[in-house]
Amino acid sequence: MRKFCTVITALGVVLAAPACAPSTKSGGDKVTLTVLSWRPEDTAGYAKIFAPFEKSHPKVKVKFKPIKNTEYLTVLPTELKKATGGPDVVQLKPYGPIQSLISAGNLAPLDGQVDVSKWDPTVLQAAKGKQDGKLYGVPYAMQTLSVLYNKKIFADQQIQPPTTWAQFIADCDKLKKAGITPLSTSGLQPWVLAIDHQIFGATRYGGDDFAKAAVAGQKNFTDPDYTASLDVTAKLKPYYPDKVTAVDYPDAQTLFTSGKAAMYPGGSYEVGPFTKTNPDLQIGSFDAPPAPGAKVNHALTSGFVDGSYGVNAHSEHKTEAMELIKWMATPEFGQLYANTLKQISAVPGVTPGDPLLAQTYQGFKTHGATYMMVVDFGYGNPLGRDQEGEALQKMLGGTSAADAGKLVQKGISAWFKPSGG
Amino acid sequence: MTSTTEPVEVAGPGGGSSRRRGRRRWPLLLVFLLPALVLYTVFIVYPLVSALQYSFFDWTGTRQDGFAGLANFRDLFTKYPLSEQVWRALAHNCVFFIGTMLIQTTGGLLLATLLHRSRRGKRFLQTAYVLPHLVSPIVAGYLWSLMLNPQFGAVNAALRGIGLGSLAQPWRGDPHLALPVAIVINAWQWVGFPMLLFAAALAGIPEEYHEAARVDGASAWKSFWRVTFPLLTPVLGIVTVLTFIGNFNILDLIYALQGSKGNPAYSTDVLGLLFYRTAFENPDANAIGQSSALAVCMFILIFGISAVANRFFRRMEARLK
Repeated sequence: MRKFCTVITALGVVLAAPACAPSTKSGGDKVTLTVLSWRPEDTAGYAKIFAPFEKSHPKVKVKFKPIKNTEYLTVLPTELKKATGGPDVVQLKPYGPIQSLISAGNLAPLDGQVDVSKWDPTVLQAAKGKQDGKLYGVPYAMQTLSVLYNKKIFADQQIQPPTTWAQFIADCDKLKKAGITPLSTSGLQPWVLAIDHQIFGATRYGGDDFAKAAVAGQKNFTDPDYTASLDVTAKLKPYYPDKVTAVDYPDAQTLFTSGKAAMYPGGSYEVGPFTKTNPDLQIGSFDAPPAPGAKVNHALTSGFVDGSYGVNAHSEHKTEAMELIKWMATPEFGQLYANTLKQISAVPGVTPGDPLLAQTYQGFKTHGATYMMVVDFGYGNPLGRDQEGEALQKMLGGTSAADAGKLVQKGISAWFKPSGG
Repeated sequence: MTSTTEPVEVAGPGGGSSRRRGRRRWPLLLVFLLPALVLYTVFIVYPLVSALQYSFFDWTGTRQDGFAGLANFRDLFTKYPLSEQVWRALAHNCVFFIGTMLIQTTGGLLLATLLHRSRRGKRFLQTAYVLPHLVSPIVAGYLWSLMLNPQFGAVNAALRGIGLGSLAQPWRGDPHLALPVAIVINAWQWVGFPMLLFAAALAGIPEEYHEAARVDGASAWKSFWRVTFPLLTPVLGIVTVLTFIGNFNILDLIYALQGSKGNPAYSTDVLGLLFYRTAFENPDANAIGQSSALAVCMFILIFGISAVANRFFRRMEARLK
């Protein structure tokens, strides 16, 4: 018994010891800023990015603290609620999902602190409070949506990126005949289908004009142009992978990176991971040509803000955190970010180092459209993206476009109040 | 430390009257109970009580606002999409429970009965059937999602290999197949548990009963239904209640198989997933209020039905005696 108790005591001491150890205080009066993020894969990249800031701010050390992306949204509110010891700077989802953090007073407003005079207001919208209109984050990246394609397969099959819908379908048929999956996508994940719809259907429903009319309440999602655009996406089923409804997101990625599929409707965010998985993969990008009956007679590159960095309202080093956030709005950060992580920086004037991203970003600037379901209809439960994805899943199972449109309308009208009465 | 060893010595052989011994034992018992009690309070009682409290308040993100009365509960049943999702998820839980009882419990009983008679390979087979039990449901879900993959998966490849390619299905992607597939995978993982319980109960039935039945001219089938099965009622009760609790709380396996949205098109959505989504993926500022209300409803439902079922089986058991 005595021995048992000794062992237990010893164990207790061992377990308790780390709890008593001094916490993250750094030597001297150096301040350590914690940056919370959902990108563990970018840890090394951020170390490189923050190095110049640490050099110009010798009293500040930036600690990048990544959390698994599937757990981030459950961890973030708890971290922001901590009275002390919480993170200083946090990565934020764009548009709708930050609103509850803002209304709970978890984030510090940045108006007047950060110079965003040169920024495009539509970019800043991603980090603004819907109710108070204040800025709570500095957007770090833009994402564009287009059709990525395997250059080698296109060359082997003697196919050029199509400029008309008829040519696009003919190319798909040719690829299918050659035993290659024309379009790789995931029918199991609703958000992937919503992205497919934005890529293939945006020209059909009318791009930003339709989005504006829907926001104003002049049109809704039972509109024949909108339901026809859903149909455009669902009718591509023969060119999606076999049994697409069971194809998961990683499977769709693998089909494309392994060269089994020729095209991948997706975002600029895929380019980095794709090249990492298969460094020999030569990726090109084109915009889906206007679909039959399109309301917009030219191709569209859709885009949206990927997210932003904001300051914890309870940060113990708010001054330093603001310094860092200010710096994250400068071209110096933007260029470092774009080059190191192979992304499209949201900072105005910064061009992506990667030629493919530069091409899609240029497309967005000259003939862009907003990703409507995220940018305009991503503020309530259910998110527009999720509801549209569910409707498309049902269409792949045989539901009619009109019924799918009704489902989208039912979901969005549960929380959305049109601005135009 | 010495104080805890003392009562043990006192409580040893020849340690006075039993009542005194009992009283002296208390501090020691408390010391042994305390760790479990503290853990139980911190991780079970406290969250339960706080969820109940949360469910009666309005929330803005993580900030608790005013008293909301039953508004959160009303939201669950009147506010789209929750109003639709709650009933759909509940129905899926019911289907899951019925399916599991049919496949897993019946399968467990069948295996236990067959193994009870078998002389060779009993230990090996028993271990083999219990083995999936040792794998985390998250891992099991992930493994099966790989095997059922329509492009690279083993199941469809095997079907095609033996010329049954027409049977190859989008197992996880067909809204009509996805839930039954999840039930079968769950049964595959847990079938060992009822099997072990039934096996133990079967071993406890005296052989004389069967002999007597045989002497009276009962066939093996009749002997099973009239003698063995009624004597298994207590175990069947335990298995049913535990299966019910497990099935109505299921989250991990479905999450690993179909993600947090119960893909495709919510066809595998269950209450556990709905709670997860309402709490952590809900754009509504009142996510904590709504999800707490749902958690309270789930608790009342599961606790209530389990209690009623328990009483029912107790009575059946009593009648048996």
